[in-house]
Amino acid sequence: MIEVAHLTRRYGSLLAVDDLSFEVGRGEVVGFLGPNGAGKTTTIRILAGYLAATKAERLVVAGHDVQRDSMGVRRSIGYLPESVPLYPELRVEEMMRFQGRLHRMERQVMRRRIPEVLERVGVQDRGKQLVGTLSRGLKQRVGLAVALLPDPEVLVLDEPTSGLDPIQRGEVRDLIHSLADDRTVLLSSHILAEVESVAPRVIILHEGRKVADGKPAELAASLGGGGHVAVEVMGAASAEDMATLIGSLPGVDSVATGDRVGIHQSFQVRGEGDLREDIGALAMTQTWALRELSWQRPTLEQLFTRLVTGRGLEDLDGPASSGAAAAPSPMLEAEPVDLPAAAPVLAAGLELSSGPAESSAPPLGTPGNAGSKIIYSLNPFDRGASRDLSKPVSVDAPPEAVSGEPEPSDGDGDGESAS
Amino acid sequence: MIGTLVVARRELSGLFMAPFTWIVLLVVLFINGLLFSSFIYQTQGNVTASLSESMTGPSFWLWMIFLPALLSMRLVAEESRSGTLEYLLTAPVSDAAVVVGKFLAATGFLALLWSSTLIYAVTLDYAGGPPDWSAVIGTWFGTILVSGLFVAIGMLASTLTSTPLLAAFLSMVSCLMWLAIPFLASSVMAYLVPLLTSTAAEQAALVGRMGSVVASMDALRHFSRSFQMGVLDTAEIIFFLTWISFFLFLTARSIEARRWRG
Repeated sequence: MIEVAHLTRRYGSLLAVDDLSFEVGRGEVVGFLGPNGAGKTTTIRILAGYLAATKAERLVVAGHDVQRDSMGVRRSIGYLPESVPLYPELRVEEMMRFQGRLHRMERQVMRRRIPEVLERVGVQDRGKQLVGTLSRGLKQRVGLAVALLPDPEVLVLDEPTSGLDPIQRGEVRDLIHSLADDRTVLLSSHILAEVESVAPRVIILHEGRKVADGKPAELAASLGGGGHVAVEVMGAASAEDMATLIGSLPGVDSVATGDRVGIHQSFQVRGEGDLREDIGALAMTQTWALRELSWQRPTLEQLFTRLVTGRGLEDLDGPASSGAAAAPSPMLEAEPVDLPAAAPVLAAGLELSSGPAESSAPPLGTPGNAGSKIIYSLNPFDRGASRDLSKPVSVDAPPEAVSGEPEPSDGDGDGESAS
Repeated sequence: MIGTLVVARRELSGLFMAPFTWIVLLVVLFINGLLFSSFIYQTQGNVTASLSESMTGPSFWLWMIFLPALLSMRLVAEESRSGTLEYLLTAPVSDAAVVVGKFLAATGFLALLWSSTLIYAVTLDYAGGPPDWSAVIGTWFGTILVSGLFVAIGMLASTLTSTPLLAAFLSMVSCLMWLAIPFLASSVMAYLVPLLTSTAAEQAALVGRMGSVVASMDALRHFSRSFQMGVLDTAEIIFFLTWISFFLFLTARSIEARRWRG
């Protein structure tokens, strides 16, 4: 539905969009992501016919060439600019009728369609209200209604959730979700969580160039070796011993020791596949009290910062993995125990224009994609004696030496005094 | 064509939704009414002369400098500032339709304003003082053309900046300059012609040439020469339409240039 090939746009000497190419298929929902000034709005404005392209090999929207048949494009897209331009002196229904007339809609069609669209965006009771008196959230909805009135094949939304409060953001998000069923939607945002929740595919722009293009999960997997397991346990053993134990589980690549909150010690475990079951079983054998055992996926925020700054994902994990109640500084200082750090691997099927495409390894880390699941023996010192899921778990008594040996002196003492 | 009318209709309805419009109407009609009654006293009841005076006198030209500027500043500059220009320029209407639609709306509003004089004429006709209808209608038609010219100049100024106040100021100054061209030209000629020529014959020829150039831009004279007499001279109509088209063309180009400038 949208084809862009080698699009370049300059403002004087400033290069706003630099040789951008991408395609959006019919019915796809694609999110444009990038910091302010990355070229999102410029690209969208060029597609909508508001700005001219400095150079473009191919610019096609809904089957019309943007540069030669601008009217055709304008007739078949619904475009909502970031500022939500509506005439404040008109009533909502008048604004809708104006849009209908601009699109040469029949009077009868308009009479039927306007209430329909207003209801779809949830402002059916505001038809008589002046646009200028609407709140920001309602204005956004009316703007969407205006864009939707001619039933466009392609919907282009520039920052549809900017300036809204969290509840309104959620509402607009749901609205976009419901619209996406039968339309191609291209939307932009600099709020990563927004795009992630609406668009199955994101295109990340930075300084006018496409930095990444793919599904958020794939991007996450490729850029940081997937996520990690956040563990928070209370045990008699010292933190180092617990880390060694966890690290000895098969498939674990690294264990970072987090900080201690009260009597609970947190860890970040990286490795192949979903390690939660193994760690849970280990905790059971060690009679550790589990407080948290969760899968922490890297957010687009981290990915994005990584893409833009080129820093490693591990460096960025701390502040963002909010569930783990871990303060960032000790997490960063803590050395992974004796094991090689997870190297970033490129996922197959992922397009990355910034790095060399040396991808062959399977995508890492997302829960459930680690192939046939094997549960390891509950004795962590069996070193990988495995069995498959069909057989019951054997709960061996943990070796005395392990649980009893390490002196819990300082850790325990701290914990009690803290609590 | 349909797009033009849709844009013009929205412009007019937007105009009449704004308090600005009603205040302007109130003030202009009140002052014009006062002036008109004073003209009636001055001319000792000469109905046609008073009507003509209120549509062509100094008060008319004073309004003509302010009102088109105030009307046209909102046409593009204000829309550009509020962002609705982006909506309009991505709607399925051509730039020309947008420009002409806006132009028609603003000119239509001014035509309505000056038609108040027609109401005076009708009233006086009923009261027993029939005016020279052809002169009144001709003058009214001329005021519309002058309004159109000034609105077109104002729109061009409006596209050059996104500050409405600056647009209005630019437009007022340009309209004033436009009206002052004959006076400025004569003083410039008095200095330049002796420098450029040696013989009296040359001098006369040059003055004649420059005079004809200046005359082709002299809105005041074109207005008073025919419309005021009640004559609809096609040459005069074409004079105004040509300049209006010229400025509207520049306006459309200027809007087009925004797509490149960004």
